[in-house]
Amino acid sequence: MSHSDTVPLHQSSQSDIDEIENLINASVQSAPARVLPARPPSPPRASIPVVSSSPFIQSNLPPPPPPPPSTSSNQKVPSAPAPPPLPTSSIAGSGFGPAPNTLTEPVWDTIKRDLSRIVSNLKLVVFPNPYREDPGKALRDWDLWGPFFFIVFLGLALSWSASVKKVSTDTVLFNLQSEVFAVAFALLAAGAVILTLNVLLLGGHIIFFQSLSLLGYCLFPLDVGAIICMLNDNVILKIIVVCVTLAWSSWAAYPFMSSAVNPRRKALALYPVFLMYVSVGFLIIAID
Amino acid sequence: MDLNPPAGENYVNPKTCLFHVIFKAAALAFYILSALFVNNFVIIFVVTVLLAALDFWVVKNVSGRILVGLRWWNEINDLGESVWKFESLDQESLARMNKKDSWLFWWTLYLTAAAWIVLAIFSLIRLQADYLLVIGVCLTLSVANIVGFTKCRKDAKQKIQQFASQTLASHVTSTIQSAFSVV
Repeated sequence: MSHSDTVPLHQSSQSDIDEIENLINASVQSAPARVLPARPPSPPRASIPVVSSSPFIQSNLPPPPPPPPSTSSNQKVPSAPAPPPLPTSSIAGSGFGPAPNTLTEPVWDTIKRDLSRIVSNLKLVVFPNPYREDPGKALRDWDLWGPFFFIVFLGLALSWSASVKKVSTDTVLFNLQSEVFAVAFALLAAGAVILTLNVLLLGGHIIFFQSLSLLGYCLFPLDVGAIICMLNDNVILKIIVVCVTLAWSSWAAYPFMSSAVNPRRKALALYPVFLMYVSVGFLIIAID
Repeated sequence: MDLNPPAGENYVNPKTCLFHVIFKAAALAFYILSALFVNNFVIIFVVTVLLAALDFWVVKNVSGRILVGLRWWNEINDLGESVWKFESLDQESLARMNKKDSWLFWWTLYLTAAAWIVLAIFSLIRLQADYLLVIGVCLTLSVANIVGFTKCRKDAKQKIQQFASQTLASHVTSTIQSAFSVV
């Protein structure tokens, strides 16, 4: 375990409470070789986020008293499978942003937190729940991972079903696939940005990324529709499926977009959203 | 910032440094080599953008924390406004961060963005709009990380200055008070 530069900063740069704690610890510790007991991290201070002094910190951030010789050397964080999460990081689970002490949480925790956020955002947007009418609460914890995966997936589904039809040579097939994918991706990404700008220009109050995130999550029903259409060649069935999923997508996007603008301009804000989803629906039906 | 790594030190977190670099290098390498070997644009697009997105996540959530002790994110507060939050370690831990780690962190961020810009110029010259789309996405991700971490670093410095002046003021007042109590 190598220490970083030279002498750690003088104790006077810490807060007074930390100084007192250190004095107590220094006087209590008799033998320097004794490993520190696993005490819970100090609660986050009000002013500056303090590094918690639990033994889960990796080797280059030893706690202020002399570092425990053996406990921190095995804790290479990126490869640590799942050390028990720090108590304070469980506050973050409810979804109002990470708790102050996330700087030292294990990597696995971060992954789990992000994945659960995607799932909860999806549930909030696409399925009925009591928070739908309130745009402030809906998607407070926006993230762009869900929309990214849904847009890419929709593009892939469209480009794959474009290739199911028999095409003469391989190069023509690849060109068709790439065209369809590029068109689908560009349409959806640029469309989300333009729709958000539309609402902003109409004098509405939304936050750019929140709206992008919402429009991306509302693509989930169309993804489902695209999969069903991919597996099934019957045109009537496809039209029905696309209409149902289109209605579902519009229903999902409606409360958020409509409450963001002046009531007299609701239709102006909602019509382009509906138009975009209709064009994606046409792509899904017509691609074969 | 200098062009050479600080001498006389080793990387403290070699695995994190490796992960920090590997996704960026893989995205760039795949993009450049695939133009020669792979004929299918969809695969190039999906793999490159996926690697770039993974790199964005790793830098933002893992290597930013571990190599330089900074973190940034966006929250929406109760009033419905968007707030950018920055989090950093306290001054003592920041000063103890390995210099070589943070050198690597910042330089690879800047170099990757520069590399994507060069590739964008190439594909502009060749008038390939779809490759420009790929590069656009990757460039956006790199630039977002650079901007986020730079703002976070400035914020951390500000906090340290504020804290230092606060501590100084409180020490001065307590010394004065104790001096008066003795008198």
